[in-house]
Amino acid sequence: CAHGPSGCHVPSLADLFDRVIQHSARMHSLSNDLHSEFFQYFLPSKNHIGKIYRKCHTSSILTPNGKENAQKLAREELTEVILKLLLAWRDPLFQLHQSMAHQQDFNSFSSNKALEMGDMAHELRKGVEKVAEKMRVLGMLGNSVTGLSAAEAMLPISDSGEAMSDYDLLYCFRRDSNKVQNYLKILKCRIVPEHDC
Amino acid sequence: ADLISQAAGVSPPGKPRLTSCRSPEKETFTCWWEPGDDGGLPTTYALYYRLENTETVKECPDYKTAGENSCFFDKNATSLWVNYNITVVATNALGRNISEPVEVDVVYIVQPNTPENVKAVVIHEDRDPFVKVSWDKPRTADTRSGWITLHYQLRVKQEEDKEWVEYDAERQKNYNVFSLHSDREYMVQVRCKPDHGFWSEWTQTTYVKMPNYIPRERSLWIM
Repeated sequence: CAHGPSGCHVPSLADLFDRVIQHSARMHSLSNDLHSEFFQYFLPSKNHIGKIYRKCHTSSILTPNGKENAQKLAREELTEVILKLLLAWRDPLFQLHQSMAHQQDFNSFSSNKALEMGDMAHELRKGVEKVAEKMRVLGMLGNSVTGLSAAEAMLPISDSGEAMSDYDLLYCFRRDSNKVQNYLKILKCRIVPEHDC
Repeated sequence: ADLISQAAGVSPPGKPRLTSCRSPEKETFTCWWEPGDDGGLPTTYALYYRLENTETVKECPDYKTAGENSCFFDKNATSLWVNYNITVVATNALGRNISEPVEVDVVYIVQPNTPENVKAVVIHEDRDPFVKVSWDKPRTADTRSGWITLHYQLRVKQEEDKEWVEYDAERQKNYNVFSLHSDREYMVQVRCKPDHGFWSEWTQTTYVKMPNYIPRERSLWIM
């Protein structure tokens, strides 16, 4: 802060949480939009339908599949799940944008959205790391959440070696970004449970 | 046998149709179906589901809780972020018929119950009177834990008006409505929606009567 600590407003933990939650909501909306645009666009060919339920590359990350399971996780574990998911999407989102930008039949509007999603996922990860740091400083989070080393969290996009289609990627990202949003809210309400949350 | 059944006016059942699946709180969900023609014979219905990336087909865990032609999935049978592939099979003595399958991810079929305890009261302080509308969240929605976030909308009109006027209360559970006419009765309804899901129904109408008053601006003008 340029004017020293007295000259600027230091955001509270609740503020920081609200920011990352808003950010994750925007990211998920964007993925939702892009997913439905894509679906409408390719639906006539139906080529994708049979292959939709391929495993997502993030399926090896164990994520709670309901409220009680999410609440059972320790704060540290929940934070780590969020960071892992976000990190695992860094390269795939970049590839998605590249691939969409090169498709003649796809408009630049959509490929820009893909680019924006990649940026958002990156910013969100930085944001969540800041929140985690703040929680640690305030003694609300143990030290067990180590900043994940990139190598550890880089998951191969496909174990079969076959590249996932853009549609599959969008489908999986839509789901993962929704998870992230939900987990962030649960985490916030646990740590700063003010006003009805 | 075909000739006999035709003569008797009976046939295998028609195709049942899954009409909708909804979750009120992101923790349980229910699917409903429309039975097809029963072929003039006693016909039974069974709902089967298979989770994404699994081979096992399971039968509906509870046909009772949500009433006729429905299947209720309790907390233990409900997972999020995984697709359920659902079909309904109708069976009678002459054969069976299977519905078109439906795919659902519970995260995207959330439709909350209506808000509760809607109150509309006239606040008459130093300024023109206005109506303060307040309500509670639907009881089943766990907003406290952050599991579900609800946004609210209300609408207001006089009995004889055609159109409602809608207001967004966002996440607040109260809203002040200004500029209502003196000495008129108003109808108020409220509904809610989760982040990614469907609006609830509107609540039953709550009535509020504006008092007889002379609006501020005009009272100045008259004097």
